[in-house]
Amino acid sequence: MGKTEGCKGLTKKYLPLVLTPKEFKFLFFSKVFVSSVLSVLSVANKGFRMQKYITEQNLNTLLDKLIAEGKRVVAPRMNAGTPLYEPLKNSGEIIIDQLPRRSGKEAFFPLCEDIMSYTKEGQKVELKDIDPSRFPETVLVGVRPCDAAAIPVLDAVFSWDYKDEFFLERRKKTTIVGLACTKADDACFCTAVGLSPSDTKGSDLFLTPLEGGGYACETFSDKGETLINSHAGLFSEPNNAKTVALAEPGTEAFDLQKVKAWLDEHFEDPAWDSIATRCVGCGACAFVCPACHCFDIVDEGTEKSGKRRKNWDACGFWKFTHHASGHNPRDQQPKRYRNRIMHKFKYYDDKFGQTLCTGCGRCIRLCPVGIDIAAIVEEISKK
Amino acid sequence: MTQTIDTTIYAAVSEAIQAEAKRILTAGEVTAVVGYAAARRKGSAQPIVITSAVDAQKLIFTPACVNNLAVYLTKAKKEIPKSGRIGIVVKGCDLKALVGLMGESQLKREQLYLIGVPCAGVLASTIQPDTGLTSDSIAPKCLECDAHLPQGCDFVPTQTPVSPELEKKYAAEIARLEALTPQERWAYWKEQFSKCIKCYACRQVCPFCFCEQCLCDRNKPQMVDTTPRPAGNTAWHIVRAMHLAGRCAGCAECERVCPMDIPLNLLNRKMAKELKELYDYEAGFQVNDKGPLNSYTEKDDQSFIK
Amino acid sequence: MCDHTNKNIYLPYLATVEEVIDETPDVRTLKLVFQDEQVRDSFNFRAGQFAEYSAFGAGESTFCIASAPTRKGYIECCFRSVGRVTEELRRLEVGDSIGVRGPYGNSFPIEQFEGKNLVFVAGGIALPPLRTLIWNCLDLREKFGEITIVYGARTESDLVYKRELKEWEERGDVRLVKTVDPGGNSSEWDGRVGFVPTILEEAAPGAENTIALVCGPPIMIKFTLPVLEKLGFTDEQVYTTLENRMKCGLGKCGRCNVGNVYVCKDGPVFTAKQVKAMPMEF
Repeated sequence: MGKTEGCKGLTKKYLPLVLTPKEFKFLFFSKVFVSSVLSVLSVANKGFRMQKYITEQNLNTLLDKLIAEGKRVVAPRMNAGTPLYEPLKNSGEIIIDQLPRRSGKEAFFPLCEDIMSYTKEGQKVELKDIDPSRFPETVLVGVRPCDAAAIPVLDAVFSWDYKDEFFLERRKKTTIVGLACTKADDACFCTAVGLSPSDTKGSDLFLTPLEGGGYACETFSDKGETLINSHAGLFSEPNNAKTVALAEPGTEAFDLQKVKAWLDEHFEDPAWDSIATRCVGCGACAFVCPACHCFDIVDEGTEKSGKRRKNWDACGFWKFTHHASGHNPRDQQPKRYRNRIMHKFKYYDDKFGQTLCTGCGRCIRLCPVGIDIAAIVEEISKK
Repeated sequence: MTQTIDTTIYAAVSEAIQAEAKRILTAGEVTAVVGYAAARRKGSAQPIVITSAVDAQKLIFTPACVNNLAVYLTKAKKEIPKSGRIGIVVKGCDLKALVGLMGESQLKREQLYLIGVPCAGVLASTIQPDTGLTSDSIAPKCLECDAHLPQGCDFVPTQTPVSPELEKKYAAEIARLEALTPQERWAYWKEQFSKCIKCYACRQVCPFCFCEQCLCDRNKPQMVDTTPRPAGNTAWHIVRAMHLAGRCAGCAECERVCPMDIPLNLLNRKMAKELKELYDYEAGFQVNDKGPLNSYTEKDDQSFIK
Repeated sequence: MCDHTNKNIYLPYLATVEEVIDETPDVRTLKLVFQDEQVRDSFNFRAGQFAEYSAFGAGESTFCIASAPTRKGYIECCFRSVGRVTEELRRLEVGDSIGVRGPYGNSFPIEQFEGKNLVFVAGGIALPPLRTLIWNCLDLREKFGEITIVYGARTESDLVYKRELKEWEERGDVRLVKTVDPGGNSSEWDGRVGFVPTILEEAAPGAENTIALVCGPPIMIKFTLPVLEKLGFTDEQVYTTLENRMKCGLGKCGRCNVGNVYVCKDGPVFTAKQVKAMPMEF
């Protein structure tokens, strides 16, 4: 029954060092190239603020100290045989070598949370608000770059116009400690969507494992600096140790602009049927996704009292858009799957200028019927 | 000790499936064939519906051909055209689901062209599809399989699967759980159900979850809380297990697809065991009009009335 | 008590049901007054905006605010009981408490309509989203030109706001054309008989310096738009409101989109031009 997420089947791929003039031209004018140059520049501009070194033992000590201080330390740990980002009881619980089954978004956007409670007495109703100031100070540790990068992407939707304090207050109170990724399989495609196993996007403090043990530490925000400064004794000056070999996902970069251009013009297209007829309409892909953020709001309780809750929802469910009248604008599975792809690679870009996918590959590994979003987007980019 | 399972026949089985699919599509005996095709990831497979003989060459059978394709023939999957006779590639375990669906008047035998697979076993999980089939990686259902060679199909390739005798994991795990105190057992399931995220993958892949509207999707009244919290999760899994009792023949798709690794088939196997003991009934072997939970006879065990 | 200065965007205001009006056997209007005096004074909305109404224990449902912004001190909603929440809302009696979140969404650009003739075209339960605007305009009558209302339903009993239809009919400054489908009329019926688009064509309002506002079931809209085109209306002269299933109403929960258009934020009011540019997903 064991499900493993090892790196079996990983084929290392070395990028050809020599390009033909045609290839060079293609690369040069593609959005991917431009954006990667821009991102290199922006990293160079912003850069890290502080560089340190920490041993594995001191990292554990740090986590235990944070827990002792009353902070919520969320990191990959085993829950009944399944790796998940969950609050640690002690540093011994952390598992560093496995990608958690669900993404890190739940530290900010839990599966389910109360958003108010009600009590009824005769004709009177009393509402009780949730006090977001009670959300605990949190350190989210061991976050893979694909998970960390999704958090600033989600900032856009939860903070535009109306501000979702449930997400934003947790965001404010959480320090994200990213971890460079050393293991990839052929479902990984972070490099295809403009990220990489060493991408620091979203991280306040970023750890890179070094040969000979320990981690290189780089900070990218005040929060990251504060974390180091408040436990300065556990960190030392950077040494010259080499970075361990990082993961090398084999998927080539998508031309996201080209993908979007095709999506702009092909809401109606026979391809949707061939892509999504096999989709069985569950929510697995959305629930394990670091960027999917659709939710439901429901009341649960009795006539007299109960809670209003916000919980994860998925556009793959027929019920998601079903009107009480019986009408359903997305009445067939391919229409629902189309919305998934459109939301990730077009709508979110239209609205917020970002792609709603970080290439973690979870939906590919866990789709019951083997739907492969990387293969689909690659196919679209070739159309 | 890890034991390798011989799947060398699968190459020849794949060729035989391709040839038969090509033949029946060309001859117009079927309008479509539901089978497996290779996908992008190394070693991976995914369900495919082909309607043209030229696509028959896409069909494969490998240890990654885990899906029970019977799900696509149910009325719940409206996207699959169901006109004419449909060919379907079935393992022995999948066939039991089709038999059950026929018993429940969901399918007619004459509407199907059954391409049976001589099967030595498939993977427990396709999270990493490029995994060799061994006593460790094999689906636990295959360890208890009594249908390596499906019976009553229209076509079965001639190869004979070799299936070594291995430890029966479900039997052992059920025995372990039965030996626990009710409190311990409750604690076990509480922990497992606490992981449920209500993605309903278990329901969506189940050939027997063909209800027009699942009880859990109905809200007048709201019988089962929809949020992924203990009350709703437990209620859902109990509803699921009970609704499948006497119907589930153990394809174990629910368990395979659960992204949270909840051992759902244990519940189904326990129910099957109870039905065997109480009514000497096993699902999936013959087309029955009514299973034991849908019928009454005076011989029925009534010891529950106290 | 609920503190409305807090930041929880999902927290509703409490209101009291002040009046319950049965419009048809299954359509009901609730007149609501906010319980908090400050909210009562500060709750401002524009015609076309919607709200989320709570029946506590059942959940929230989305409807337009059906009363006019020119009528202060209360709001009204009008709904057909078809789902869990609406059935629960239907059980509310005078004096009961209800939750209201809003106002949300865009609104009719009423300032741009000033000095123009207005043609309202509505079918069945879809009059409420236009009724807010109709009263808004009637309360500022001198700012607008001719006002024509073409309203129909399947049967006489399916017509909502019957008292107001009478009021509009009796006013000298409104032209009301009401219709029911053949067979839905009694011997006393004094209106027209026929499908709304057909009756609209017969009524033939002029397109010049005129805005048409259309709201109804998809099938009615489908047949009404060509009629308006025939009468000389451009797509920029025609407005409608869309409804899709919503939960948050705030542009977060991700279900009401039609293509990349979020009905809750970019709508619910759209011109026919905008609607025609959308994919068929509503």
